[in-house]
Amino acid sequence: MKQYQVSAAEKKFIGSHILVAVLALAVGSLFGPLQAFEHAGWDFYVYLKPLIKSYYQGLTVHGVLNALVWTTFFIMGFLTFNVIFGLKRPLKNPVLNKVGFWMMVVGVVVAAIPILANEATVLFTFYPPLKANWAFYVGLTLVVVGSWVEGWGLFMTYADWRKENKNERTPFIAFASLVTVLLWQICTLGVAVEILTMLLPWSLGLIEGVDPQLARTYFWFTGHPLVYFWLLPAYISWYAMLPKQAGGGKMFSDTLARLAFWIFLVLSTPLGFHHQYVDPGVPPAWKFIHAILTFGVFFPSMMTAFTVIASLEYGARKNGGKGALGWIGKLNWSDPSVASQLLAGILFFFGGIGGLANASYNVNLVLHNTAFVPGHFHLTVATAVTLSFTGISYWLVPYLTGRKLWQPKWATIQAWVWFVGMIVFSNSMHVLGLLGAPRRVPLNLAPYVPAEWNSRLFQVGLGGAILFVSGLIYLVVIYKTATNKERVETEVEVPIAESMQDPDSGPIWLDRWSPWVYGALALIVIVYGPVLFDLIKNIALTSPGFRVW
Amino acid sequence: MAKKDKEDNEFRPTGTVTVLVIFVITLIAIWGTIYMILVGRGGTL
Amino acid sequence: MSAQNMHIDSYERNWMIFSFILLAVFASAIAVAAFGMEIQVPAPEERVDPGTVATDPNSPWSNPGLREIAPGKYDAYILARAVPQWEYLPKEITVPVGSRVTFYVTSPDVQHGFKIQDTNANFMVLPGQVSKLTVTFDKPGAYNFICTEFCGAGHGVMYGAVIVTP
Ligand code: HEM
Ligand SMILES: [Cu+2]
Repeated sequence: MKQYQVSAAEKKFIGSHILVAVLALAVGSLFGPLQAFEHAGWDFYVYLKPLIKSYYQGLTVHGVLNALVWTTFFIMGFLTFNVIFGLKRPLKNPVLNKVGFWMMVVGVVVAAIPILANEATVLFTFYPPLKANWAFYVGLTLVVVGSWVEGWGLFMTYADWRKENKNERTPFIAFASLVTVLLWQICTLGVAVEILTMLLPWSLGLIEGVDPQLARTYFWFTGHPLVYFWLLPAYISWYAMLPKQAGGGKMFSDTLARLAFWIFLVLSTPLGFHHQYVDPGVPPAWKFIHAILTFGVFFPSMMTAFTVIASLEYGARKNGGKGALGWIGKLNWSDPSVASQLLAGILFFFGGIGGLANASYNVNLVLHNTAFVPGHFHLTVATAVTLSFTGISYWLVPYLTGRKLWQPKWATIQAWVWFVGMIVFSNSMHVLGLLGAPRRVPLNLAPYVPAEWNSRLFQVGLGGAILFVSGLIYLVVIYKTATNKERVETEVEVPIAESMQDPDSGPIWLDRWSPWVYGALALIVIVYGPVLFDLIKNIALTSPGFRVW
Repeated sequence: MAKKDKEDNEFRPTGTVTVLVIFVITLIAIWGTIYMILVGRGGTL
Repeated sequence: MSAQNMHIDSYERNWMIFSFILLAVFASAIAVAAFGMEIQVPAPEERVDPGTVATDPNSPWSNPGLREIAPGKYDAYILARAVPQWEYLPKEITVPVGSRVTFYVTSPDVQHGFKIQDTNANFMVLPGQVSKLTVTFDKPGAYNFICTEFCGAGHGVMYGAVIVTP
């Protein structure tokens, strides 16, 4: 059976997302190893002085380009592909999507200018009253609004499909992608309000001051669901594509996968206080409620773990896999896309454990803003997500460009090197955090570092070096692929795992949007309403801006 | 179709359970360690 | 598409039930620590004007430092600031072993952090807000407190210490 043909123009459009994403990763990731080396006592910042003035300016570049630009562009590209390919129809209004994309690109450029000029060294969380140049906030706004516009284009495409397919189950990859887009549209309201009502007018001199506690509350309204916006596209690939790629796997439970996505939609936003456990201005009772809801959102990830592993095991057993764990060896490890995503998944177990610890209310007193936190999220966003995305790119780029993957062996090596480097890096960061080392500090210069941290700081540098090598290999492989003279003979097959049960046999409510959407909004109002109302009622715009970097 | 369904129905994800048991043991060990650090350091009120 | 019941594999159903119980156990452990052992996160204490909090003679932070409020019980008013330089005021406080010290920390400028090593005191310091937690120092020694939130160029050198004498 011939697969659905995505038009050449649409392939190019999706490919432009991947291109911007990879460029951002290339520049952003450069600073990761430099930070790690600094921790180990090898200071490269002296050589960067003409361009990058400080560790913190580099850290701003690292956080913004990796966590915001690399992820958002790759995700919007991948989700656009999923909607088109899943629904088997072109974009309803390609111009709208293009407008969204270019808004995002312009936004990145507009934000990059003050960052590079050292006028926006506020890190990717831009907590006021550190005050960046207004262009930084304008740029971020354009990125967010551009991603909304692209999302509207996807919803319109879906609406058309629905009109013509009244009683059909939405194909899984399209369904899950649309839920992810909707989640993003709801949760980004937080930063949108933060920037438009406070930071932007303040940076333009229209208002004198801001309210830092309120700003943090708006920020984390978006900040936590943001991590699900990163993660869910990787889940889509793990659920629906990886089992096929790994060898004959089928989706173990289509219905539970759909249910998991709905739970993510409902529970991802109303728990932002778990980033504010140690903020002075939020009542502990509400923090505790958000803690319980955070445990709730851990649940669909536990479901995901089961369904994904069972889907993989099914294929491995059919291919002769034996034993309690021996079947894992029968997965198609020689495929770089598979190896990347399996290794990403393995480290995600540990990312999940660290995340649960962070999220555990008073346990956060031990961990808050220590090196444990970057240790944790380099397992999640920088590995579970990033290594999955690079793994996806190993089939997606050949699919989009018609060019053969250059040296698949090197692609596989890249994944393994990242895996090893990340174990060394992340383990030492976690331990340092437990010993009390703070994050966002050039520790080599900090006056309070005891000798007992030194061996761990060295391991941070070592891990950073290994990760650097992996990053380089990735860039070479992807560059050589995108410019490869050797073309694929037939269009690359998009890996879609079929479902073990007939998706149609699931309950109808899994295909109804309104109860879930209203439920999500209602829950947000209930668990954010009272505190936000109070903070807004007592708003004190008493903090003028500071440029102290 | 009938045969295939049967084959699918006979699949028991025992390997999955093994992997998840290892995960849960690790989870309890690490989470428990950090929790004990917290408790060892005492009250804050 | 027809109305159907949810089909869930028995292994997976058991896994879901088990996950639920596990999370409930963790949540209970946290609740015990929070409400049984008084290991709590900061609560809203007081709002202040960051413009005057360090200078207004009626503000305790115009004269930051340690006050003994009862034998072995202290209030410590600490100012975390980035201007004119990155520092805590006072940089050092000294208490005898066994003291129970309640910290009241605020900032006249940007956001800071306050984490006393080897204790459960670890919180954000925001301009306009007062952060409060209590620590009982049972062992003599020097406990550094360090800044845990980016506050500008000198963030990495911002620290102080509680000296606990035998
Ligand atoms: C090349 C491998 C990488 C290395 C060696 C590395 C290293 C580091 C280090 C040492 C820090 C902590 C700095 C500090 O707290 O002072 C850091 C922060 C961070 N990294 Fe990475 N990183 C890498 C790749 C990535 C990737 C791929 C992502 C995301 C997709 C990422 C996202 C972040 C974020 C969001 C922060 C926090 C920035 C902040 O605190 O403002 N990193 N990285
Ligand atoms: Cu500070």
